[in-house]
Amino acid sequence: MILAVLFANSVGNVLIERFNGVPAEERLHWRSFLVKLGAENLKGVKNEELLVACHKSVYIVYTMLGDVSIFLVGKDEYDELALAEVIFIITAAVKDVCGKPPTERVFLDKYGRICLCLDEIVWNGLLENTDKDRIKRLIRLKPPSEF
Amino acid sequence: MAQPLVKKDDDHDDELEYSPFMGIEKGAVLQEARVFNDPQVDPRRCSQVITKLLYLLNQGESFTKVEATEVFFSVTKLFQSKDTGLRRMVYLIIKELSPSSDEVIIVTSSLMKDMTSKIDMYKANAIRVLCRIIDGSLLTQIERYVKQSIVDKNPVVSSAALVSGLHLLKTNPEIVKRWSNEVQEGIQSRSALVQFHALALLHQIRQNDRLAVSKLVGSLTRGSVRSPLAQCLLIRYTSQVIRDMSNHGQSGERPFYEFLESCLRHKAEMVILEAARAITELDGVTSRELTPAITVLQLFLSSPRPVLRFAAVRTLNKVAMTHPMAVTNCNIDMESLISDQNRSIATLAITTLLKTGNESSVERLMKQITNFMSDIADEFKIVVVEAIRSLCVKFPLKYRSLMTFLSNILREEGGFEYKRAIVDSIVTIIRDIPDAKESGLLHLCEFIEDCEFTYLSTQILHFLGIEGPNTSDPSKYIRYIYNRVHLENATVRAAAVSTLAKFGFMVESLKPRITVLLKRCIYDSDDEVRDRATLFLSILAGDGTVDTDKDSKEFLFGSLEVPLVNMETSLKNYEPSEEAFDINSVPKEVKSQPLAEKKAQGKKPTGLGAPPAAPASGFDGYEKLLSSIPEFAAFGKLFKSSSPVELTEAETEYAVNVIKHIFDSHVVFQYNCTNTIPEQLLERVNVIVDASEAEEFSEAASKALNSLPYDSPGQAFVAFEKPAGVPAVGKFSNTLTFVVKEVDPSTGEAEDDGVEDEYQLEELEVVAADYMVKVGVSNFRNAWESMDEEDEHVDEYGLGQRESLGEAIKAVMDLLGMQPCEGTETVPSNARSHTCLLSGVYIGNVKVLVRAQFGMDSTKEIAMKLAVRAEDVSVAEAIHEIVANG
Repeated sequence: MILAVLFANSVGNVLIERFNGVPAEERLHWRSFLVKLGAENLKGVKNEELLVACHKSVYIVYTMLGDVSIFLVGKDEYDELALAEVIFIITAAVKDVCGKPPTERVFLDKYGRICLCLDEIVWNGLLENTDKDRIKRLIRLKPPSEF
Repeated sequence: MAQPLVKKDDDHDDELEYSPFMGIEKGAVLQEARVFNDPQVDPRRCSQVITKLLYLLNQGESFTKVEATEVFFSVTKLFQSKDTGLRRMVYLIIKELSPSSDEVIIVTSSLMKDMTSKIDMYKANAIRVLCRIIDGSLLTQIERYVKQSIVDKNPVVSSAALVSGLHLLKTNPEIVKRWSNEVQEGIQSRSALVQFHALALLHQIRQNDRLAVSKLVGSLTRGSVRSPLAQCLLIRYTSQVIRDMSNHGQSGERPFYEFLESCLRHKAEMVILEAARAITELDGVTSRELTPAITVLQLFLSSPRPVLRFAAVRTLNKVAMTHPMAVTNCNIDMESLISDQNRSIATLAITTLLKTGNESSVERLMKQITNFMSDIADEFKIVVVEAIRSLCVKFPLKYRSLMTFLSNILREEGGFEYKRAIVDSIVTIIRDIPDAKESGLLHLCEFIEDCEFTYLSTQILHFLGIEGPNTSDPSKYIRYIYNRVHLENATVRAAAVSTLAKFGFMVESLKPRITVLLKRCIYDSDDEVRDRATLFLSILAGDGTVDTDKDSKEFLFGSLEVPLVNMETSLKNYEPSEEAFDINSVPKEVKSQPLAEKKAQGKKPTGLGAPPAAPASGFDGYEKLLSSIPEFAAFGKLFKSSSPVELTEAETEYAVNVIKHIFDSHVVFQYNCTNTIPEQLLERVNVIVDASEAEEFSEAASKALNSLPYDSPGQAFVAFEKPAGVPAVGKFSNTLTFVVKEVDPSTGEAEDDGVEDEYQLEELEVVAADYMVKVGVSNFRNAWESMDEEDEHVDEYGLGQRESLGEAIKAVMDLLGMQPCEGTETVPSNARSHTCLLSGVYIGNVKVLVRAQFGMDSTKEIAMKLAVRAEDVSVAEAIHEIVANG
């Protein structure tokens, strides 16, 4: 299960957060834990370089993309390797929508589209689509090109 | 970072960088949402409003029931628009709003229309939305369409239906299980993603059907799997099948190993790592099987991608716990990871090295770790400290450098948990390695000179009181202890007073001086400190308040005879009156804990830790528990208690395990029973034991369990008499008998009448190893040489064909039940010969040492030369007899 997908800006404000199977009272803890993790480790990291951590039995994979930091939390079958795959798809889709690694402004301008992409990639904690070109079509309700 | 959790609506000076959501407010957005009701829908504007709603929801904002209902109703009107962009947004916002069951009906007809629409993309999205919002009864209505969609030609539709199936399986398993034929077809799909989702769903549907999973794995490992993701799933399912097969006694060549091994050459890194991990986790994995997996993991250690390095080192860390020698080849690569920027990777590397390093590398390793410790967080430091503790127990001769390291880090900054971990480690080392005692105690003394944690100070003072008086120069600790009386808070002062008293009582020469010090404490500002000082002064003066030395000793050093929990309850119930509180009124019987609490306790405490928890576990706990039962009180001193042996399979109605308690001429079986059925209460729970295959045993007593409510474990006991001092063996078959009463789940009350019933348990064996206590020695050679060579008894044995030397060593260790010494239980990979050193205490308190030399020939035949030295030559012979009969 992918427990959380979280996007934050460069000073740690949350831009998008989606939790799956995490009780409401634990979300605040996760939110602050992730943002702190990012603040401590993401400074000076190259675009899309993946960082990894584990906390108890869950895994965290996170990265920077332009001004935005992206965090994924998973457990069981979504270990560090599976999460790396998911975050790769997410960054590819976000870059596709924004045309480049986004500034915060660009990210917010394309907010609706990014939400749609996320909806195609992760659905209730499970990975659904993995191909950025297909995702690009799906968010416009266009059938996949290979079909 | 300024305000990490503030919503993103703060001002920015730069005009160009202002947020499109600046100043966004829920009320205003809800007003704007009225645009959805316009007769002429403006798709662009509506999309913008939905985006704002999403922004609010994605930031953790919540809508009241009325607000959500109103927005949901308006959104449903947007189905009239044919604009595809807007329709896609509508699908998303409906899922996000998650309407309540009574509102869902408004939108189901529109969604069902979309689901049967000719436009595939409407179909896929409608399925996903419907599956998110409907309940079981509605699902049966649309089931036909979902089934059709699973085999739809369009992969997006098919995937949507399959992933919906994965979600619905949790809430409506019966319905989803009916789709397995279609899902099976999905596995054959040419689309990689459809195959991935179908595989996941089919496995979930059939996970309890071993044969079906085995068939599924069998066919797919031969066929083609189209995506790395699906391949990883297949590897996981394959490992499960291998585990199940070995559990069910299938022997011979390990099935599917070749498949796992071939995955090590897959082009996707993810698959390679998954396969390597699966191989390392195989039950009883041999070094030949491990080698290729370790080789690929080693390559990943120097990967430029942190995720791969992390995955590899995490796997190797686990392997090091069971097969440390297999990982030693990677030590050089691992050492370079100590400086890895990613601290998680560095910590894993360090702890792995601590497990795999040999005695000669300890010092070098400690040097590297010292530099590393300063820049990691406490949580990582604790992991390192725990690894060092195990290392010290493994290589007792290296205690000096390890103790120095621990005392150095004890002086540095750190939080409570970290400091506690260090103190616990020092205490463990002092207890396990007698030579380390004096220096360890001094380190602890220095620590309490500047310790900000009351809990740790009191614990250390208590420990000092027990260990300090027995050292060569007890007077040197007094200064540190008395300083506490001057400089600390009342709790620590009181603890210091008690510790001083212990020194005064145990060391005659110190008594006058301690008396002077204690006299100074009777003017303390705290009443507890004054009371203690007065009491101890009177004990030390021997003025008749306390009768004998024995009583004083019992008072100062004895433990509380009643469980702390019971004591607490009794004290709370005590009403102040003329009648003083009587400690004898506190019940001694240990109350069982509910299961959930027990699980939450986590790992067992080490070192100082908390004192043993109330329920009897651990040797001391068992000893107390048994002596409190009148039927067993006369059995004398408990020699050994085994670890629990399960007598039922996992997840049965009643879970029972047994602990074998060995006395000189008795054996007591403690049956720990748990009732896992909420609707039942068991009464008069007893175990009927048939000892016809245990000739030397005769039943002496039994104690039934009066009541066994749901989820609240209890114990029944049966005791057997056996010839004194004789290691008698035998087989016992067990039947649980009880009266079962129905419980009304709403009130929790049981019916008055019950029905007698019984439940067959597995057999239980008392074996030779039950008469051996694992007791290590810090220096095997010294211990060996100190025993008389004349009494050494040597013999040779053929152990037959074995997969590896390690397997043979484990078999001998299990048979004898002895403690391996100096890490000799692990065998270097590919070794043809090995010496294993074992130590223990045999019944009758006879010290035994064993030197077992193993050799393996080209046909994997294993020979063993066993040399035994014991304090009693007959015991050395008995050990040989056990091996010869085993």
